[in-house]
Amino acid sequence: MDIFNGLLLGFSTATTFGNFLYCFLGVLLGTAVGVLPGLGPIATISMLLPFTFGLPVDTALIMLAGIFYGSQYGGSTTAILMNLPGEASSVVTTLDGHEMAKQGKAGRALAAAAIGSFFAGTVGTLFIAVSAPLLASLALTFGPAEYFSLIVLGLITSMVLASGSLLTAFGMALFGVMLGMIGTDVNSGAARFTFGTPNLLDGLDFVVVATGVFGLGDVIANLENEKSRSAGLAQVSSLFPTREDWKRMAAPILRGTGIGVLLGVLPGAGVLLASFSAYALEKKVSRHSAEFGKGAIEGVAAPEAANNAAAQTCFIPMLTLGLPGTATMALMIGALVVQGVQPGPEILTQQPALFWGLVVSMWLGNLMLLFLNLPLVGVWAKLISVPYHYLFPMISVFVAIGVYSINNSVFDVYMMALFGVLGYFFKKVGAEPAPLILAMILGPMAEEYLRRALLISHGDASVFFTSPLSLGTLIVAALLLLSIVSPRFRKVREEGLQEAD
Amino acid sequence: MRIGQDSILGLFFAVTGCIALWISVQYPFGTAGRMGPGYFPVIVSSLLVLTGIGVLVRSIAASGDAFPEINWKALIMVPAAVVVFGLAIEPLGFLPAVLLLLVLSAATSIKFKLDWKAAVGALVFAGLCTVLFIQLIGLPMPVLGTWLQ
Repeated sequence: MDIFNGLLLGFSTATTFGNFLYCFLGVLLGTAVGVLPGLGPIATISMLLPFTFGLPVDTALIMLAGIFYGSQYGGSTTAILMNLPGEASSVVTTLDGHEMAKQGKAGRALAAAAIGSFFAGTVGTLFIAVSAPLLASLALTFGPAEYFSLIVLGLITSMVLASGSLLTAFGMALFGVMLGMIGTDVNSGAARFTFGTPNLLDGLDFVVVATGVFGLGDVIANLENEKSRSAGLAQVSSLFPTREDWKRMAAPILRGTGIGVLLGVLPGAGVLLASFSAYALEKKVSRHSAEFGKGAIEGVAAPEAANNAAAQTCFIPMLTLGLPGTATMALMIGALVVQGVQPGPEILTQQPALFWGLVVSMWLGNLMLLFLNLPLVGVWAKLISVPYHYLFPMISVFVAIGVYSINNSVFDVYMMALFGVLGYFFKKVGAEPAPLILAMILGPMAEEYLRRALLISHGDASVFFTSPLSLGTLIVAALLLLSIVSPRFRKVREEGLQEAD
Repeated sequence: MRIGQDSILGLFFAVTGCIALWISVQYPFGTAGRMGPGYFPVIVSSLLVLTGIGVLVRSIAASGDAFPEINWKALIMVPAAVVVFGLAIEPLGFLPAVLLLLVLSAATSIKFKLDWKAAVGALVFAGLCTVLFIQLIGLPMPVLGTWLQ
């Protein structure tokens, strides 16, 4: 199906009443979640995942996607107005955005963020529409060796980008792979690591682990600093950027979009890296670089464009290859698989309405967000003043209900509590859980592809190096690993990830 | 050797890896061309043990960060509240379980006061949840459990 017909199909799918409504709900919820610190899109999507099982698959995915990119918008609102980044990727927006707000330019900063995000979202959506069919047809030539190498690249990228030491991230990834191996081995039927209990025969549910580590773990950790979050709320006056603003915003938005589009597609990278890189690039390249940190509008427009572009394009490897690039995408795959849809190159031919409907609804969602955010700024500001000690019991209730509802199994609830403890433990030892979550999904896939590749080649491991794509992927992975050793890259990585903490 | 972040984490990895390795070698290993169920687990758990040892070595060699303070109250109470939910949902039902979870987890906060406002708020919220999840979304859970029927 060519792009034009695809987009038409997408439009008719995305504008049905149900899909439109759930798209709106998703972006609204996403913005709210983005505004609230202590509750992130991963925890929210994990919580809502079980509840989407009753929805048709395209509606479910549209809503969950809306939550994800909506949260990028929400995070920037509070970053600008209150110097409180709702999401990690909005940290960079606080630097110049809040400065602008202090100078009375809050409205213009918000507008810059919204316009940059919308432009980036549009470009991102177009990019998906154009590149996904290309990538899918390329992927049909992929064999197990290529997939295995891609998974290795994704895991290594997520380790390199995790804050903290590479060795720690490696350990987390390995631990995640181990967790993924719990259950029945598909090939031999052997029950692995089940400790004799039938509850583990199907393995650990990914949602249980994700909600435990991220949702509950965050709650426990946040209870440590219970000082009230009374942040000053900057006044919002004029929302329209001046002509000078437009001139200054244009190039940063373009550059930020470019960076975001590329980094979003790279498995293991994501919105956080995109926004930081865009800020760093802009600072180097801009004529007004002296103003960065003191209220340069470029410092708001570029990272905002980048993180929104990345939020769109990170769906590409997930949809076309079935390979999640980030933990959030792993959750999306979970939502698809439970509905019986297998993401991969086939998805464009077998489920065209799902794919194109999602693509178009992402653009519609961005449009809704553009108009939602600016008028509703006051509402979001009120939301953030809800004290955490009202919020977190509600979060606990939602995660518990959500996890129980997957299988009506209290075992899952107990497991989630256990992973909440583990999540807190990991925070305390300085280990970032993102590689763990990703590895839990990618690990079993890696084993499967490794096994198949070696089966076909009769145990000959050179098959990974004779295929050009596989070899290329492994070389990139090796380069990434080596770059860790270079002191200059280490400094950049530490600086960038330091700001995220 | 200071008991710091790295030493605890290294210990965690090493011990978990050892246990996993011990279990993995009991599964048939197979060959590279025909991997058994134990092949991948043995490799991964061995790597995990090595990583754990590496992190432990690092904790001895370099001075890592000290182990931060643990908020034992939150660490015990919040998961315990969730466990209570799990214990309560079948015998007592959805509404009491949500209520228990809400109150027990809220009690973790230093700002918690067991007054009538909190009680009313909790009841209202639990009631709203019941309406939302059982009636509107249609989750198949009993509002009142087997003991209370």
